[in-house]
Amino acid sequence: MTQPPDQTDTGAASITDELDRLEQIVRALEADDLDLDAALRLFEEGVARLRSARERLATAQLRVRTVLEDADGTLHDTRRDD
Amino acid sequence: MTVGPSSEVLTVSQFAAAIKQLVESTIRPLWLRGEVTGCKVWSSGHWYFTLRDAQAQLRCCMWRTHTERAGRPPADGTAVYALGRPTFYDGKGEFQFLVQRLLPTADIGGEQRRLDRVKAALAADGLFDVARKRRLPRCPGRVALVTSTDGAALRDIVTVTRKRWPLATLLVVDSRVQGGGAARELVAALNLVNRLDVELCIVGRGGGAQLDLAAFNDEAVCRALAAVRVPTISAVGHETDVSLSDLVADVRAATPSAAAELAFADVADVRRQLHQLGARLARSLGRRAEVLDERLARAGDRLEGAVEQRLSAVAHRADRLGAELDALSPLRVLQRGYAVALAASGRVLRRRADFPPGAEFRLRVTDGVVPARASEA
Repeated sequence: MTQPPDQTDTGAASITDELDRLEQIVRALEADDLDLDAALRLFEEGVARLRSARERLATAQLRVRTVLEDADGTLHDTRRDD
Repeated sequence: MTVGPSSEVLTVSQFAAAIKQLVESTIRPLWLRGEVTGCKVWSSGHWYFTLRDAQAQLRCCMWRTHTERAGRPPADGTAVYALGRPTFYDGKGEFQFLVQRLLPTADIGGEQRRLDRVKAALAADGLFDVARKRRLPRCPGRVALVTSTDGAALRDIVTVTRKRWPLATLLVVDSRVQGGGAARELVAALNLVNRLDVELCIVGRGGGAQLDLAAFNDEAVCRALAAVRVPTISAVGHETDVSLSDLVADVRAATPSAAAELAFADVADVRRQLHQLGARLARSLGRRAEVLDERLARAGDRLEGAVEQRLSAVAHRADRLGAELDALSPLRVLQRGYAVALAASGRVLRRRADFPPGAEFRLRVTDGVVPARASEA
């Protein structure tokens, strides 16, 4: 049985998704062929993503956990203080 | 009349100590090849023997901490490689070689043959093929780390990762990395990695003598590594030690620290990238606003009502976003002719009620602040 990812995990993978999406937004806005409503919506999204990515980078702290397997095969992970 | 010594006189102890110091400081640990004779096992667990070849011989001593790992005492005539360092035993006035490792050369030959056999088997199954090498994920969030929790490798990887990519979570799967049972534990740990929600697996240990890397040349370990679902980095030993697991992994890192550098992007690069994207985003809005003004000017006469209403709604949103865009050069919005009314406290004034007659406030415009007062009328 696989342990679900711990809930506090902000998911560093999603920061790359965030970057990819931002790149996509900026390109779309730079291309100039969107109607204004769509452009502003995109812009709004861009600002929100930019802000959340920055916050995430500012508050990130490496997590180190040790994985252990119980006698019944269940996996647990516990925090390490390295 | 007797003639006394003309220069400084040393005691025997002083001289012996000087010799000992000289010997120990000038000759670094090294491997010797020779034949063992007269090995005596003391009750303390230390071994004393002579290492010799056709022309020379050396007194050797091997402390218990080392003999415990060496197995049985070598029989007379056993050809060996001995790793050690020289010393001068002042109590006996004897030059000695302190042995740390003792490897029968016959075993080494056997070891090499076994290694060649495993290598050939793995190669035949395509485990070294370049075509099966997977690309590493760009910024992995969760990474499995198979190594000894007592080892330097873990410490090095944690240190580098903390600096480079603190967004990561490292899941450490403990396994012995040398000695008996290491191969079995590594196989179990690698199998366990397949049950974890991770994007990358690093397996490794710090450097050591050739034989210490044996577990990473083990066939079962190599096959378990090849079967890991996610991309793998093998970081075994130092620059010069290459193991079979290095050849099987998707990427080989010279050291554990190097593995962390290969695994994780540098957060500073991502910050730079974000900064650039932010600047481009802000510019894109500015450009958009110019187009908007132009269209407004052109369309104004013909489609007054509807268009103007829509554009003013749009402009209002742009204004609101502009105010939010503190990090993204809000001056760009002000450049377009908007102004923001601010109370003395810096609070943004948005409603009529914020401007009681006679109230003093400040108008933030593109190039500075203008003091203003709400008219009394």
